Amino acid sequence: MPVVEFLQFTLSGVSFGMIYAAVALSLVLIWRGTRLLNYAQGGMAMFTTYVAIEVIYHTHSYWAGFVVALAAGIVLGAVCQLTVIRPTMNKPPLNAVIVTIGLLIFLEGLAGILFGGEPRSFPAAFSITGLRIGTTPIGVSRFDVFVVAAVLLTTLALAVAFKYTSAGLRMRAAAFNATIARLSGIRVARVLTVGWALAGLLGALAGVLVSPSTFLDPNSMDTIFVFGFTAAVIGGLDSPAGAVVGGLLLGIALSYVGGYLGAKGSNLTSLVAFGILVLVLMVRPDGLFSTTQVRRV
Amino acid sequence: MSSAAAQQDGSPALAVEELVAGYGGVIALDGVSISAGTAAITAVLGANGAGKTTLLRAISGLIKPRRGRVLLGGADMAGRSPEQIVRAGIAHVPEGQGVIPELTVEENLRVGMMSWPGPLSRASGSRPSRAERAAALDEAYGRFRPLADRRRKLAATLSGGERQMLVIARALLARPRVLLLDEPSLGLAPRVMAQVMDLVVRLSREQGITIILVEQNARSALAIADHGVVLNLGRVVASADAATLATDVALRHHYLGF
Repeated sequence: MPVVEFLQFTLSGVSFGMIYAAVALSLVLIWRGTRLLNYAQGGMAMFTTYVAIEVIYHTHSYWAGFVVALAAGIVLGAVCQLTVIRPTMNKPPLNAVIVTIGLLIFLEGLAGILFGGEPRSFPAAFSITGLRIGTTPIGVSRFDVFVVAAVLLTTLALAVAFKYTSAGLRMRAAAFNATIARLSGIRVARVLTVGWALAGLLGALAGVLVSPSTFLDPNSMDTIFVFGFTAAVIGGLDSPAGAVVGGLLLGIALSYVGGYLGAKGSNLTSLVAFGILVLVLMVRPDGLFSTTQVRRV
Repeated sequence: MSSAAAQQDGSPALAVEELVAGYGGVIALDGVSISAGTAAITAVLGANGAGKTTLLRAISGLIKPRRGRVLLGGADMAGRSPEQIVRAGIAHVPEGQGVIPELTVEENLRVGMMSWPGPLSRASGSRPSRAERAAALDEAYGRFRPLADRRRKLAATLSGGERQMLVIARALLARPRVLLLDEPSLGLAPRVMAQVMDLVVRLSREQGITIILVEQNARSALAIADHGVVLNLGRVVASADAATLATDVALRHHYLGF
């Protein structure tokens, strides 16, 4: 039945789209604060997912691994910012870009040394068997529902914190106008570290949510990074809400490509994502939902 | 019209001594010294590129002075970060785009209180309560009525005069002893500009705030100032009572353009 098929592809796309949205949000958080695209975001997520695998292996508890991965994401984000990113501040912007690429290569190399290069399977929190309504499969599993809920909850929590807390106001003020923020007494350097920590958290979340579907190896998050980046660009790199919408649109679009074109389509998804990225950059370089100018790309 | 409170204890509220600062290979301030009496208005005048804005940026820590001292009540601020300097009591209202248009009026004002001791501050005795913060906001709205009506609106929707009001209100929420104002009248209609100048006078006379006023419009700045300093190419070329400067025809002709 075409209608059922369409529904299946759509819902499955929503689930993947939320993962891309999480990666996109992590990129937006850092972009807004520093006008820097963090190329190491995928590598950081890969690394924390390995940490989760090790914890799960030793404790036999998925949730222990899940929580440790998120905590590791926060720590890794903050440590990376403090050690290698902060020294590039007030230097030519390309310095920081190259440092993030170096960080990516370093993390992928280190993961290879510590955990080996073999693809490893990652458990899912819940059943990945497709749910059915009556006898009709709807294309999503309990785990997919968990993925959507986890990203939505995290996003909402962040949105509320940004809007209604003093720390959130600090982060927004520092992102919009660092000079005014400093003159008002906001320790902008510290705020940026917190931004990286939160980005690390979102990346880690994306890593543990996507890995049951992709296997984990030192390079497995590269594609997810590209999808997340595409989603962020679709939404306008400045807009957290745009990142979520961009993630969903991309997830659904890629799901249709993979679903309707069969095996051929699955191989095409990266290419299609790349095509969408180029198209958006050509037509609406500020993103589909952006109202402000992107100052530097 | 020198202020009675000025020089009360014999030392100025803010003293800049032999300040040298610049950008890359350019020296924008070349040994500038000024002295601002407590609760006095000091006008800093001069042509474009004279170093007026750089002077304020060096005082507030936005650029690090290469040499010299910035003494606030005897403590040297030179080399400290802007975050530390605003906490010490110097608030800087930079030129132009001082509001954060993406934030609401109230959020802009709350940013002004970010220099207050926070919940993680070690000085536990001085932590302001929620009520104190609310009272400070109410006070700001009381003084700047138009802002009260628009507190939930984005600052982007404000007029030029309201924006200037907002940035000054935000700076005052930091409870400064010294207020640095960079071209507060820039781009304002004459009537609004007069209101801003009135406000500056009241801040010094009623609140006892020491004001360093950088102005392109020398005539209106000298009209409200106690003291005037004229910069040219990064050096002080004149420093005297505002009234004396305003009547110095040669000086006006050469440096002030009126």
